[in-house]
Amino acid sequence: MSEISVKAIGIYKGYKSIFGKKTEVLKDISLEVKSDEIFGILGPNGSGKTTLISIFSTLIYPEKGSLRILDLDPRTKKDAIRRQINICTAKPNFPWSLTVRENLKHYAMLYGMYGSGLKKSVDKQIGAFELEEYRDIKFEDLSTGLKQRLSLAKAMLNSPRLLFLDEPTTGLDPEIAIKTRQLIRRVHRENDVSVILSTHYMPEAEMLCDRIAFLRHGQMVAQDTPQNLKNQLHLGERMILRYIGQVNIDEMEHIPGVMKVKAEPGKVEIVIDRMEENVDRIIKLFAGATIQNIEIKEPDLEDVFLELAR
Amino acid sequence: MNWRGELNKFLASTYKNWIISKRNVFTLFELFFWPIMGLLTIGLLTRFLNIGSNTVSFLLVGSIALTILQTSQMDVAYVLLFDMWSKSIKNTFIAPIKSYHLVFGALIFGVIRGTFVFGILVVVSNRLFGFDFLAGGITPVLIFLVGVYAMAAVIGITVCISILTFGQKADVAAWSLSGVVLLVSGIYYPVEVLPLALQALSRAIPLTYFLEYYRSVYIPGPHNIFLGALLAILYLVGGLMMFAWSIERARRTGIMLRLSE
Repeated sequence: MSEISVKAIGIYKGYKSIFGKKTEVLKDISLEVKSDEIFGILGPNGSGKTTLISIFSTLIYPEKGSLRILDLDPRTKKDAIRRQINICTAKPNFPWSLTVRENLKHYAMLYGMYGSGLKKSVDKQIGAFELEEYRDIKFEDLSTGLKQRLSLAKAMLNSPRLLFLDEPTTGLDPEIAIKTRQLIRRVHRENDVSVILSTHYMPEAEMLCDRIAFLRHGQMVAQDTPQNLKNQLHLGERMILRYIGQVNIDEMEHIPGVMKVKAEPGKVEIVIDRMEENVDRIIKLFAGATIQNIEIKEPDLEDVFLELAR
Repeated sequence: MNWRGELNKFLASTYKNWIISKRNVFTLFELFFWPIMGLLTIGLLTRFLNIGSNTVSFLLVGSIALTILQTSQMDVAYVLLFDMWSKSIKNTFIAPIKSYHLVFGALIFGVIRGTFVFGILVVVSNRLFGFDFLAGGITPVLIFLVGVYAMAAVIGITVCISILTFGQKADVAAWSLSGVVLLVSGIYYPVEVLPLALQALSRAIPLTYFLEYYRSVYIPGPHNIFLGALLAILYLVGGLMMFAWSIERARRTGIMLRLSE
């Protein structure tokens, strides 16, 4: 049975400006993350994703709420938690003039590693993230993709049980982003590490995450597996038909299960629930026309996101 | 964790400061140019004013103390400044470290740099101005240097606290705090020439006592090195506690995140 890596109940965080005005960043966030999963925190910019990850990683503290990380209380067991977690930040930043190897050595030392263990750990991460060629290159001279790989390598130095990835592919080229996602999946699988990942890129979450929490204006609006979220929201499948001839669009809207119809000359887009039960009745409406092409799309997280963001 | 792991948490900051310094060409200015320029300026001024050897030693001790203080306090402040400038503070403070690991780790490098600068200045002041820094033996020199390094640590800690409390712009404190010490702790003049209010302030600064102690080797006079040492210990312990508190405060207020953005 999997353990619980993070258990948060009623987390609240606000910031006060110098004039005393308070901005609420997180409101009443409750969630549980299991040790064997990749958990996604999704939301638009400014929804509180980074703040939530920073609270879970003990970088900042919540104002209200109860929190347990790896079954430890972060108020009293900070060091014990910090020994077992690590983070890869959105824009990876390290001391500029230190090389890849020097940066890894520096952070390994901060984690109390020494001697051959330190060297082995640094070499292992350099190898695992294919940084051998760049080990003596200064951080400031690395490309964005290599900086991200260094950040992931640094995050694995202490063999964490819980890894936080804050928008790990932001700003990367598509090709590098795909590689980074493959790395994340590999790290999760091979190192038996629980991953909490924030992103505003829906396909990434769909690709990587076992479960997802949606944040909007600092509040949790939904939390489940990607499939369950799609099912729960009854988003339906999308059927796009291209045709020549006459079709009664008005009648189409009255077919059971049809949620939305968008028509333009020669093309109709139908959002339909339980397609397998109703597709015959739709097709029959095209009796007086010639169907040229049918395209069927399952709802994706983008649709979930748009629905939740309404 | 065993002692080697604990030691490496200190040495992590020493290592980082060392690598950054050795790759920075301006380190040469910090180690050679400015210290020697400062000493030459004061030394040549004493020649122009044609003042007695006691006053010359008074001024040269002050000049050398100030230079070592500035060099070493910067190294302590750099432990946070380098992270702030490179926006990597998050990576440091997610690690299981305490405030004292950072301060003493950086101070180790500050002491190494300060002692190197001290060595250069001792040679230059001896060759050019005939001033023998070791005239009173090695013990007064060591006590004097310990006092200067303790003061450097206190100033460096104060800069770190300012950054964590007031944010990025507080790094100006790194450059100006030693100026305040220069004014009130009797670097270039006896504290008796200060207005009474500033004299009271100077008596609260440990460096004042360490300077008086070391100068008493050349110009016999009263000193209270024990009070200076007590103040230095008090400030160090208090400073470390305040630093630890300011880290926790930065985590509560979110400054920790803003310093990484």
